[in-house]
Amino acid sequence: MKCSKCGNPKVIIKKEQSGQLLCKDCFIESIEKKVKKTIKKEKLLDKGDKVLVALSGGKDSVTTLEILDTFRQRNIIDICAVTVDEGIANYRQGGVDIAVRHAQRLGIKHKVVSLKDEYGITLDEIMQRDNHKGSCTYCGVFRRTIINKAAREMGATKIATGHNLDDEVQGIMMNYLEGNTDNLTKLGAKTESKAEEFTVKIKPLREIPEREIGLYVVAKDLEVHFDSCPYAQQSFRGEVSEVINQLSENHPTIKYSTLRGYDKIKGILKKEMQKEYNHGRCERCGEPSANRLCKACSFLEELGCD
Amino acid sequence: MSFLLKFKDLEEQREIPNENYTIKDLLNELELSAQTIVSKQNGELVIEDTVINEDDEIQLVQIIYGG
Repeated sequence: MKCSKCGNPKVIIKKEQSGQLLCKDCFIESIEKKVKKTIKKEKLLDKGDKVLVALSGGKDSVTTLEILDTFRQRNIIDICAVTVDEGIANYRQGGVDIAVRHAQRLGIKHKVVSLKDEYGITLDEIMQRDNHKGSCTYCGVFRRTIINKAAREMGATKIATGHNLDDEVQGIMMNYLEGNTDNLTKLGAKTESKAEEFTVKIKPLREIPEREIGLYVVAKDLEVHFDSCPYAQQSFRGEVSEVINQLSENHPTIKYSTLRGYDKIKGILKKEMQKEYNHGRCERCGEPSANRLCKACSFLEELGCD
Repeated sequence: MSFLLKFKDLEEQREIPNENYTIKDLLNELELSAQTIVSKQNGELVIEDTVINEDDEIQLVQIIYGG
């Protein structure tokens, strides 16, 4: 068995979808090339952008940072990073420490924001409440609010997240299965909001399968936080992911075709299904909100947080 | 005929049960999905079709945890 590109016998991946065999160097190059292709095709970066990387310390965000940093080295963009500490005991601190070390290694501005400091409550404390709505509901909303705020404070023009092919396909299928056509219009490589306080979000790893990102960080010896969120098992996303992975075993191109299919209908979906929101302000925190309270503040009110 | 298996905190000598015993066979035995694991043979990344030899050190790295 030899690398399909250079003939090196030390093959580290056999791509199920194409049958291609790659050695370590050719594999690393192929990932970086593909991400750069997505960035170009989807026009994710503009010269002079300041990109805030949402850096958890996990494989996806570390890979996003690593590849975007090549643009910083070429003086095309500037980079800063934010890490959200949700307050999950025996899980989050490992990722925070790794994120800090990557920011130091690259010499980029980085801040860690905790739910405790921002809202006076940790995710663990929320999950002890009888009336909670499930961990991912709070985590997603609070994290998004904190990252948006950090982007404004740090003067970022784009927010880069580590969403990979598996995440995107799960998002497409979850929203479809739930009949959530409004959320379905919000997926994609680049999401812009009409409210200018919401910074443009980009997903450079959107076409890279999750396993290949895992292989990339191991091949490049990047320090990452490989651990399981203790609340992950409870999510609908986990169930959807399992079904898609099962299907992929006999249909190895199914994730790509789901993404391609979605991209083809996205324009029509947006035109036909996207809701027009009021662009008011949250009474409590002043963040942009369609309702009296933004999502984060309505959760905080329910939880009785000041 | 044995090899050393390293997986998370586990480190154990295991017998090679038959000729042409691959990492994929090992993953099946351990009920682990190749989708969530990358494998190293004597410190170098390899694919799951790789045959395990006597005295090999096989390290399995779990890269996907589902969440």
